[in-house]
Amino acid sequence: MNIIEIKNLEFEYKEYDDAGEVSSTNPVLKGLDLTVPEGQFLAVLGHNGCGKSTLAKHLNGILTATNGTVLVNGMDASDEDKLFDIRQTVGMVFQNPDNQLVATVVEEDVAFALENLGVPPAEIRKRVDVALRLVDMYDYREHSPHQLSGGQKQRVAIAGVLAMKPKCIVLDEPTAMLDPKGRAEVMDTIKLLNEQGVTRILITHYMDEACQADRVIVMDDGVIIMDDEPKKIFARVEELKAVSLDVPQVTELVYRLRKHGVDVPADIITEQECAEELLKLPHRGKAEIRVGTAGADRKSGDYATEVRNLTYKYSVGTPFEATAVDDVSVGIEKGQFVGVIGHTGSGKSTLIQHLNGLLRPTSGEVLVNGKNIWDKDSDIRSVRFMAGLVFQYSEYQLFEDTVYKDIAFGPKNMGLTKEETDKRVREAAAAMGLDEELLERSPFDLSGGQKRRAALAGVIAMRPEILILDEPAAGLDPKGRDTVLDEISEYHKSSGTTILLVSHSMEDIVKYAEKILVMNRGRLFCYEDTDTVFSRTRELEQIGLGIPQISRLSHLLKAGGMDIGDDIYTIDRAEERILEILKTNA
Amino acid sequence: MLNDITIGQFFPGSSVIHRMDSRFKIVLEILIVVILFVAQNFWGLGIACAFILMIYAASGISFRLMLKSLKPVLPIIVFTAVLNLLFVKGTDAPLISFWVINIYKKGIITSAFMLLRIVFLIIAMSLLTYTTSPIVLTDAIESLMKPLKKIKFPVHELAMMMTIALRFIPTLIEETNKIMMAQKARGASMDTGGLIKRARAMVPILIPLFINAFKRANELATAMECRCYRGGDGRTKLRQLKATRLDFYGTGLTLCVLGIVIINNIVFA
Repeated sequence: MNIIEIKNLEFEYKEYDDAGEVSSTNPVLKGLDLTVPEGQFLAVLGHNGCGKSTLAKHLNGILTATNGTVLVNGMDASDEDKLFDIRQTVGMVFQNPDNQLVATVVEEDVAFALENLGVPPAEIRKRVDVALRLVDMYDYREHSPHQLSGGQKQRVAIAGVLAMKPKCIVLDEPTAMLDPKGRAEVMDTIKLLNEQGVTRILITHYMDEACQADRVIVMDDGVIIMDDEPKKIFARVEELKAVSLDVPQVTELVYRLRKHGVDVPADIITEQECAEELLKLPHRGKAEIRVGTAGADRKSGDYATEVRNLTYKYSVGTPFEATAVDDVSVGIEKGQFVGVIGHTGSGKSTLIQHLNGLLRPTSGEVLVNGKNIWDKDSDIRSVRFMAGLVFQYSEYQLFEDTVYKDIAFGPKNMGLTKEETDKRVREAAAAMGLDEELLERSPFDLSGGQKRRAALAGVIAMRPEILILDEPAAGLDPKGRDTVLDEISEYHKSSGTTILLVSHSMEDIVKYAEKILVMNRGRLFCYEDTDTVFSRTRELEQIGLGIPQISRLSHLLKAGGMDIGDDIYTIDRAEERILEILKTNA
Repeated sequence: MLNDITIGQFFPGSSVIHRMDSRFKIVLEILIVVILFVAQNFWGLGIACAFILMIYAASGISFRLMLKSLKPVLPIIVFTAVLNLLFVKGTDAPLISFWVINIYKKGIITSAFMLLRIVFLIIAMSLLTYTTSPIVLTDAIESLMKPLKKIKFPVHELAMMMTIALRFIPTLIEETNKIMMAQKARGASMDTGGLIKRARAMVPILIPLFINAFKRANELATAMECRCYRGGDGRTKLRQLKATRLDFYGTGLTLCVLGIVIINNIVFA
């Protein structure tokens, strides 16, 4: 039986003028058809603004169709009388874990829907316990939401929906704001629901998540443009790229190899399949590895910033005392592009907040441009202009009524002249790819990616010598992510600014960074050039860091007798080595 | 700095006082306030104070916390005491007299009375929040105010607002911290300059905070709708407030104290 049946769904957002008349309409869904059989795990892909979330909100009557019909378990979703039956049948989980938990105690939050439905207390108790056990959060039932990690909060949100015993759960980018560990927890929970026979509709920007689904649909401009099983979808690399979507790294690899005439199937999405297929081909066993990657040692001159024996303790003198950074000494060379990695709680955020004097070390020294920033004669504000720090979700710092004024906030605080400020604002906006005409708009009218870039421009306009970026691409869709990171990389090349890029995404880091700094449990794990760090991928995995899929592939190939080297972390290099190792190409 | 704010100051425990039904606790709290003000002489007040100290001891909360709870209201206490001392006039000759100040015996007594009343009032009040979690307290208030629904007073809505406020205070504090850091990184200075300059420095923090809070409110409302929220009608609750024998003992005891204080008033009138 089909749980969802959508026929010719159209929806437009209406804007009203002051008189209450419709002033403009914005069509979002344009005649969409979709049927979802019960028990299926369906992934929905599409760039921001393609109508995914709008579609989701039609499935439980939050929005009603302008045209067309939505049937949920046979009920018309626009039928007001059945509204609560529909909402019980289709539960929703949203992106921001904080903004969907209502109660101050976990178990009460899970009970919220049942309380609304008027279920007797004894029955609520039973169903809450079952739901909490399902998502493995039973031990946390008496915690407050703010004591939980992002992944745990999302699991509580899922439990809150499960308690209603829904036939279908719609998850709208549930992992977008989570770290890798949280993402894995949530994905495990979603897969687990398979046994419960619950239909799952997962909206996501992560291709590896979509790969785990039974079926994938791709949306673009309000309609479904592709609908198939994951393998078949991802094999259509060019079509996906045309709608600014990604494919898994190994899919990209086989796509490129096929272009070179290598005989491998196109529909490969896991590294296991890929290794299996590649090992079938005749090969030489070991690739010739040319050493001497240029660049890394080029900038061994002065340090842009340096920390010496830096230790930072939270809540000193209370029972909550904890060491966030433990005796770290490292120097970042001028002009370097450094990737900073480490799992949540490894001390990387604490470390970077020392570099511009936002935190004061418990012991040890912080030097910027060779000068101790906590010296008596040092002005901490001028340090902040020298070492620009952009926080995660930096769009939350926008506050002025135009983008121009917002970007000018930093330069103004520096006390620059009007002319100089103007020059810098325009320069920074251009560096971040923001058009002149956007400068006079309100920052709150911009798209997500544009807002992020406006916030970045606000820091770049101060022309810092070191630019520190904390997860600058978090929560953006693949296209928004690539744009931001490419602009940053361009800026690095043109200005020579030292850059520290903090990210959970190893794929992003290796694409841009020349050197990598790894933090683990408050200590410096290593600070080496990218090749050296990635020759230690197994150690990285041991300390709980995810490594790129392409590196995992190289490990599998090596185990199968095809050694393409230990320094594989980009598709380019994997492609090159594999082409070389294959006998057919000799 | 913002992390130091604790809300509700609830100290979990399993004492007799902790285990009491929160509705009874609120009602008995009011009764204790009545006792404090009914007492007309030192004997009566002494009994009331001893009763409060006894409850305090039964709760297992450290007496050091009692002093801590008095600290913020110390200026008010001192002010009231001094005011009474200076302005209450007795019929007999003043004990101390210089310049325009006359202190009478009655002034000292009234002042001491007020002092004791306020101090013990605050002790009793803080005991309620120390032993009852904010959510349970919200439940109790909602339950006690139920009769007001008849006159269209939005009891459930009020309780829901309190719950959401309690839920989001830590989140918003964390967010304020983040925004402050981000603006500081852009050279905003918040701790220097005069009053106006400092007030103006708050703008870059408050605007993002408000915009974000509205966004949160919007998303939360959708999430609540998705979980079938439709106001207080027909709603049940996971946690049931239940009166036990303990609560009736407590009520009996408090009423006895009230009786004794009233009898004491009449006898020594």
